[in-house]
Amino acid sequence: MANHTVRLYALALGLVVFFLAWAVVAARPWTTRAADPRLRALAVRAALLRKEAKLVNQIVAARQRAASAATAPAAASSAVRVVTLPPLTITRTS
Amino acid sequence: MIERRGFRAMGTDIELIVEAGDAGPQLTAAEQEFDRLEALLSRFRDDSELSRLNRDGSIDAGPDLQRLVALALEARERTGGRFDPTVHDALVGAGYDRSFEDVPGDSAEPPRAARCGGDVRIDGGRIVLGDGVHLDLGGIGKGYAAERAAELLGIAGPCLVNAGGDIATRGGAWPVGVETADGTMTLELHAGGLATSGRDRRRWRKNGREQHHIIDPSTGEPAETDLLRVTVIARDAVEAEVEAKVIFLSGSRAAAHTELSTILVTDDGRTLLTGALA
Repeated sequence: MANHTVRLYALALGLVVFFLAWAVVAARPWTTRAADPRLRALAVRAALLRKEAKLVNQIVAARQRAASAATAPAAASSAVRVVTLPPLTITRTS
Repeated sequence: MIERRGFRAMGTDIELIVEAGDAGPQLTAAEQEFDRLEALLSRFRDDSELSRLNRDGSIDAGPDLQRLVALALEARERTGGRFDPTVHDALVGAGYDRSFEDVPGDSAEPPRAARCGGDVRIDGGRIVLGDGVHLDLGGIGKGYAAERAAELLGIAGPCLVNAGGDIATRGGAWPVGVETADGTMTLELHAGGLATSGRDRRRWRKNGREQHHIIDPSTGEPAETDLLRVTVIARDAVEAEVEAKVIFLSGSRAAAHTELSTILVTDDGRTLLTGALA
């Protein structure tokens, strides 16, 4: 009788251990959890936008340098002269 | 055909003039550009990008604030610190701590000087201010806005943008009136920009002492000079604004030797012309 009960307990314990082991193996704790694909896509997009913004800033700066260089001689010499026309607008202290 | 539009932005009167048939959309775009830049650059708006920078000491700035701070720092370097964007606390100390329309004409509190020339760094897209450093981009910001608006308006045709004295042009020849000591002189502007700075407007009293908005970074107080008003013609409105401030600080004797085209009005009623205008 006692042996029969012990065998039953042993069987139950064996089953519990078996399912616990199954659960642990199924959870695959040795692999890292994959990030949310939407967050991953957003991060990629943000990086791309930062790269594009840097490029745009470089292009704008280069164009401004080119435009400044192109207008410099005009500004230095004959960009302005005194005339007797009525003014279209007036500059005052800002 | 010439189209015009006038409105108020950045605490001043803005005037857009364009030589084109139907420039409605471009005029609207240029007007909206002023609103957009004012929302970013005003030190009187708590939610502006500039106010956030002044409050937090560092921010990841948008392209306009980055560009403008970079231009201001270049100007500080080029002028040996005579132009300086770190005059914010000195302006507040002089009493210009709110939109100019709301600054009291006189107040009992004495003015206080503030140190200028603090550390400002641009690290990638991040602007970092040194301890206790705050920026004011009022004058240079108007010049920058005039240039950006002229870029948009220039799509329609030759144009002129006048942002309270800071003028940007794209193409054309524009008769611009400049106040002298005893009247108005007309200049024909073919290219570039023009700016006028002075202490004949935007002035008030504090504890009986007259104050104005052009700070001398070496003293941290409103500049003391024999010049009343300076008009400078340069490559663009931003450079003209910077040079006008620097020449104003230098006084009439040093200013008379500049190679730039300028109209100088002294406080004893003389008008001096330099550069191509002399």
